[in-house]
Amino acid sequence: MKKPTLLGILVCLVSSLGVSQTAVFPERLASGWAKEGRPSEFQGGNLFNYIDGGAEIFLEFGFDRLLVQDYKKGNSEIVLELFEMESPESALGIYLMKCGTETPVEGVPARNSGDKTQFTIVKGPAFIHINNLDAGASLLPAMVELARSVLDTIPQGRPVKLLEGLPSESRITGSERLIRGPYALQSIFTLGEGDILGLEGKIFALAADYRDQEGEPSARILAGYPDEARAAAVFQNLVTRLDPYLKIIEKRDRKFIFTDFRGRIGTVERNGARLEIRLNLAVRPSVSPL
Amino acid sequence: MRRRSRFSPDLPGRLDRRDFLKIGGATGLGLWLGNRSLSALAQQPSAPPPRPKTNIEDALRVPRTKYSLPGFFPGRVVEVQDAAAVQDDKPVSRVVYRMVEKGLGGLTKKSGKDSCGLFFSRDDVVGIKVNPVGPGTISTHLDVVDALIDWLVAGGLIRKNIIIWDRFDFMLRDAGFTPERYPGVGIEGLQTMDEAAAMGKTQDNSHWLKPDGTHVSVGNFDLEAYYWADVEAPKDNAYLNQHVFNGKNSYFGSLLTKRLTKIINVPVFKNTGNGISMATKNLGYGAVCNTNRLHAPLFFDVNTEVMAFPAIRDKLVLNVTDALRGQYDGGPEYEAKFAYWLNTLYFATDPFALDMVCHQAIVAKRKAMGVKVNEHPKFTEYLRYAERLGLGVVAPDKLQHIRA
Repeated sequence: MKKPTLLGILVCLVSSLGVSQTAVFPERLASGWAKEGRPSEFQGGNLFNYIDGGAEIFLEFGFDRLLVQDYKKGNSEIVLELFEMESPESALGIYLMKCGTETPVEGVPARNSGDKTQFTIVKGPAFIHINNLDAGASLLPAMVELARSVLDTIPQGRPVKLLEGLPSESRITGSERLIRGPYALQSIFTLGEGDILGLEGKIFALAADYRDQEGEPSARILAGYPDEARAAAVFQNLVTRLDPYLKIIEKRDRKFIFTDFRGRIGTVERNGARLEIRLNLAVRPSVSPL
Repeated sequence: MRRRSRFSPDLPGRLDRRDFLKIGGATGLGLWLGNRSLSALAQQPSAPPPRPKTNIEDALRVPRTKYSLPGFFPGRVVEVQDAAAVQDDKPVSRVVYRMVEKGLGGLTKKSGKDSCGLFFSRDDVVGIKVNPVGPGTISTHLDVVDALIDWLVAGGLIRKNIIIWDRFDFMLRDAGFTPERYPGVGIEGLQTMDEAAAMGKTQDNSHWLKPDGTHVSVGNFDLEAYYWADVEAPKDNAYLNQHVFNGKNSYFGSLLTKRLTKIINVPVFKNTGNGISMATKNLGYGAVCNTNRLHAPLFFDVNTEVMAFPAIRDKLVLNVTDALRGQYDGGPEYEAKFAYWLNTLYFATDPFALDMVCHQAIVAKRKAMGVKVNEHPKFTEYLRYAERLGLGVVAPDKLQHIRA
């Protein structure tokens, strides 16, 4: 299997594209829908004033600004939410958390998942929700029209290549995730409290599910750090602060094996400046060489 | 106007809100992908902070009554499913009525008036706690409430002694719980909140803030009955607008402590992260104010501890989880694409048993839909905590999950 050059992929520069400087909300759609009032705007931590309780994951991935614009036609209403994330990586990270099993909507010119009730879209550093508050199928064409109109004004930006760091062999399509802190990690597994992986809101770790030879699914998390010392410190942090429901059953300098609360096996291994964590293994891996 | 409500007591803020408000100015350009929003998070120690103290002992000292949780049927949960309950994305009232009758019969082994008489007397003042958070989709269905009201009235209760309530008045309106729809029945929110101010659409706070700096809804809460937790609350207006108080006390609504004699809890069926926001969260975060500060340090334990106080423990006699429609992912936010029709109602006197059954049901659904599921025991630990406090029965060998 080809070794991913993880750190090389993880380490990249942010280009703040300023989505809203180019994104334009149409005043009126050809189908007769029109803006209802001015957009509401929420910046940084003020996101709590819009999604009190749901803001943390956006902030963890890197959130700049949210614009919320209502559109009305008669008594029907569509709400457009444009989240300006710090980078295309940030936007992809939140998209992968929110998209569910992807069901692309025909006619939406960007990566998306949705149905008659809600579109979830990512393009460049923009993460977009289009919500149908009436939930009826009749608004679907207007939702597509609105999506196309807004997306046309958002530049695609540079491609995100982070996920190329995940080995492709036996990977379960659609299971890929980005992790930038405890909230994203918790959706997958509980290794411990707080920022147990030491990502510090700066490093994107990668995660995906894989099938073993018997077809059993397991999960893999890859995290690249700026140097070996940092990776070693995180490894030690995992050893000392591992979740109490996880029991270390074997430990060497750079690797340990644990059982989880269901008796499944997990491993943590440091290789240079990167950590590889395997979870939900049905069979204990060979112990030699640890 | 039906809205996608973003303001709800059952939306968890798992990190301290203030931490995220301390936004640094560094752009983080360089080797790592910087995140100026996360500067506070980066400074968090890896070791978890100690659990804050609460006044749970005060609650446990109050003698129990015959109605105290887990009620007449500890550990018993009745599930009623009917494929005909929904047609064209709308509940069918007559089928819902039949399901309610079947569920109550399955729970109590009594029918009609007799089952009502088991829980209520004619002079009871009954509060029906709904969850109106996602009008039109994930919200307690009016049809379910209709059926329960008719059951109460048939059992001899007076309409004016029935009060549909939630924490927020505007959410009740948005979800269709209006005096016009329910003539003769009370409709009450424990508090108001100025959505325009909360959304930043106006700087005019006069609709919710009195000249003396207190919230206009302060009088709706009982200053003698509170859940105390050694956790500070944010002191900004946005928090006060939504939470009425910002000290270390979360006061119970006076409606619960002084007027209601019995409570029926009618939550919805939805997830919140890896856990659920159903029966116990509907009351744990819906019966008291000043709750957002509690999410990070105590989260689900609040469900258990708030419900240990007499205002709920001794008055909550019936829970009906409205799972006609559910949301299996994306919660606590309302995410319509994860909503689905289950055509199911669950019945229990024991809300902790009920939540354990529903937790397992939603985990199964999440797995079936390919959602990543973290099944760590900490997401149900609050239910076992309730069992240790004598409030519920959740041990697998004692749970009775009956499909009626």
